[in-house]
Amino acid sequence: MSDVSDEDVERWSGAAGWAAAPELTSMQTLLWRAERHPVQSSTSTVVIDLDRAPDWDRFVAATEWGTRLVRRLRQRVVEPVVPTAAPTWADDPTFDLAYHLRREHVASREEMLVHAAQIALRPFDRTRPLWEGVLFEGMPGGAAYVLKIHHALADPLGTVQLLSMLQSGQRAHTPRKPLGDEVVAPVEPDPVDLAVTGFRTGVASLPGTARATARRVGLAATRPQVVVGSALRYGASVRRLLTQAAPPSPELTPRTGRMWSFLTLDAPLESLRSVARLGGGTLDDAAVALVLGGLRRYHARRDSTVAEIPVGVRVSLDRADDLGNRFAGALISGPLAIEDPVDRVAAVRGEVLSLHTERALEVLDAAAPLLNRMPSFVGASALRTAEAPDAFVLTLPGPPRRRYMAGAEVQGMYVLGPLPGAALTVCLVTCGDTACIGVNVDASAVADLAGLAECLAEEVAAFAG
Amino acid sequence: MSGLSTAVSDAIAAIEAGPQGPSVGAFFDLDGTLVAGYTAATFYGDRLKGRDVSPAEFLRTVVTAVDGELGGDPTRIAHVAFSAMRGESEEAFADLGERLFRSKIAGTIRRESRALVLAHQRAGHTVAVASAATKYQIAPVARDLGVEHLVCTQLVVEDGQFTGATDGPMLWGRHKASGVRAFAREHAVDLAQSYGYGNGYEDVAFLSSVGHPTALNPHRDLRAAAARLGWPALDLSDPVGGSLLAAGRTAVALAGMNAGVGLGLAYGLARGDMHEGRNAAIRLATHLPMALAGVSMNVLHQERLWTHRPAIFVANHQSSLDIPVLGRLLERDFTIVAKKEARWDPRAVVGSVVIDPAYIDRSDSESARATLDGVVERIRSGTSLMIFPEGTRSATPVLGPFRKGAFHLAAQAGVPVVPVVLRNTGELMRRSSLVLNPGVVDVCVLEPETDWSVDDMSERIAALRTKFEETLARWPL
Repeated sequence: MSDVSDEDVERWSGAAGWAAAPELTSMQTLLWRAERHPVQSSTSTVVIDLDRAPDWDRFVAATEWGTRLVRRLRQRVVEPVVPTAAPTWADDPTFDLAYHLRREHVASREEMLVHAAQIALRPFDRTRPLWEGVLFEGMPGGAAYVLKIHHALADPLGTVQLLSMLQSGQRAHTPRKPLGDEVVAPVEPDPVDLAVTGFRTGVASLPGTARATARRVGLAATRPQVVVGSALRYGASVRRLLTQAAPPSPELTPRTGRMWSFLTLDAPLESLRSVARLGGGTLDDAAVALVLGGLRRYHARRDSTVAEIPVGVRVSLDRADDLGNRFAGALISGPLAIEDPVDRVAAVRGEVLSLHTERALEVLDAAAPLLNRMPSFVGASALRTAEAPDAFVLTLPGPPRRRYMAGAEVQGMYVLGPLPGAALTVCLVTCGDTACIGVNVDASAVADLAGLAECLAEEVAAFAG
Repeated sequence: MSGLSTAVSDAIAAIEAGPQGPSVGAFFDLDGTLVAGYTAATFYGDRLKGRDVSPAEFLRTVVTAVDGELGGDPTRIAHVAFSAMRGESEEAFADLGERLFRSKIAGTIRRESRALVLAHQRAGHTVAVASAATKYQIAPVARDLGVEHLVCTQLVVEDGQFTGATDGPMLWGRHKASGVRAFAREHAVDLAQSYGYGNGYEDVAFLSSVGHPTALNPHRDLRAAAARLGWPALDLSDPVGGSLLAAGRTAVALAGMNAGVGLGLAYGLARGDMHEGRNAAIRLATHLPMALAGVSMNVLHQERLWTHRPAIFVANHQSSLDIPVLGRLLERDFTIVAKKEARWDPRAVVGSVVIDPAYIDRSDSESARATLDGVVERIRSGTSLMIFPEGTRSATPVLGPFRKGAFHLAAQAGVPVVPVVLRNTGELMRRSSLVLNPGVVDVCVLEPETDWSVDDMSERIAALRTKFEETLARWPL
């Protein structure tokens, strides 16, 4: 029996330091306070296909170890009584693994996906750690682990990262797995204390805020044309971002956001990458073009002649092709009229890069701290004002190599994101040489679910040449 | 002032070092990229001047334009303009395009954009103008630059009149990008190896379609995006506009010229030697005004101006500045051939007293021949002749065809031809402008050519014209 592999140890110690900040960020706070599950949900679900059902005891022990390594999985969110401060993370003294992890028996993968959608639709107990895992056994092709995780704990990118970190590079059991430094559990914070401390910090920073405001007013007084010009350009940019995407497709209505249906697809990563290369774009652009191609087929099948639909994409705020860590969501007009996948990738590329000329791209990020001081319904409506696209498309880097969970080989990892007003949310996760595509569909908006699944599969085949 | 900036020279060197041939495309935006400013504004200005515009249309145009700036649909302004053109004759509009090109737009073509276009043409690339403008704005510019292909917005014409509609979308933003991609497919152009140049935020989609995008004199939003996308930004110098200061200096220079002429002639009268008086007047009348206007010269091979006198000096012609420049170069013992109509042109009167031109009557070939016989005599007795073989000033630095007159004279008088290439007089004083801007005039005197005869004249003229073109394209250092 080999010792612990160096690579695993390195990854696991990375996981131990994962998400160590004691408070929620502004954006997480906004999403946390504005959550109205499931219509305005911040829950992502990951479906992991396994080649066999892992030994249950070993699986429970591994999860137990994982929650000790990554403390966040044993922590809950504590809100101040009034929103003067951001919520904080605190160890949950009543943590019980059995509440969060269970197993179920299903007869087929389709049945598992139906269950997974139902699990995703059930709201979290917001006073407990924000995750829930179910191991589905009894399927002919193996097993599946369904993990539901709240955005405040991890966004889809973080979830995939976390899972990739926790999985093992070998099938065999690793004895004496490392744990993070024994952290002293933070004292359970008192909600009233939190509010008072937040208020004090707010008051203490008042003189500074006042000075900054005075400076800004002074600048406006001495150089009015600069300030006015810059404000007008910013306003124009906001207006373009909010209004210039295509109108939503009539084929993808009415959306209730209350009926989720999960689809999964596999595409050879190499064929996606080569189409992306030919079109001068990235894998992200190819993913958007793939979804548009599927929707193009769906619209054609239903004799609809919609030329463009609004698509929500993620744009890096640092450099265009960097993974970076600052992102903004934005809408583009996705072409439905282009038949050639390569040309479609090029068109998507042009739309996405054009967003970089918009100075207001960071507007929601910038507004989040302010909105957080308001009652939560204000934040909720701020999120709603941004017009919802027909589809969200997101690409996430998964594990580059074969991974195992408690002795079962991971065969695919699909992220099913929430549906905040969209008819579809599509996440593409790269797993080794395969693109694992998870599609969450608003079943009330799509009249022919099976037809949509076929159209998406046909487009995957078209990309493969 | 003279020559290309380092950044532009580097860009040209990269084009020369890169792949060659027609499978490489080079796409240039028009407004703000090839030309400084907006050609549409020039057209609209002309429309306003002609009072073709009702107050309601004007208000609608202004409101739409402002709304476009404030985040509204920026293409609506163009559609407002297109629908206002309904019923107009296409032919008349095309003529207007030609007229506005000669009077206004030609002078706004950036010299360094021209150099970039030329570099792509030398590399054998497929060069196209890609613009949301109409062909009536683009075609004259493209023709002047020797660009064959236009990817642009098409207006619907029925029975020779505009219907006010566009054929297909306006090629703005994503539509320009798809227009460029369609062009590339049609002409077997490999976009990954191709070049694109644009200046506005709407050009991002088009620029992202090519492998080598360049933000050329970018607006601030494109500049920010280019920095984030890692695209090079290239800032070209704009054609010099007539500043108030330059106008003032021009007036002083004109006064200086007249004073110079007067002084020189007075000197001649005093000395009783009119020949020397004229030469003194030429010196003063050319040195004084150019010094006053802040124009200096950078002359290559100056010695060639003196080794073969008397001779026929031939130069390319872009500007009224050419005459004082050549006068200053030749300094003494020369004259020009002018058309008879120019005899009473008030601007030329003073100069004509000084250099006593040989006037020809172009309407009467008999008398023209007689005049030319007289000119041959004057040349043989020691007076050199200065001739612009293009016959007229060109609107841009592009060389026109050479006429044969100058070379016939060289053959008859048995004197050599000294070619003088002027590079940027057109930039310092535009064709239609009365204002002289300060700067350095680049002059290159080519190898004098002797032994002209009628037998091989056409070939030699063609060869000489090619030398002019080559010198203009690659200025010797």
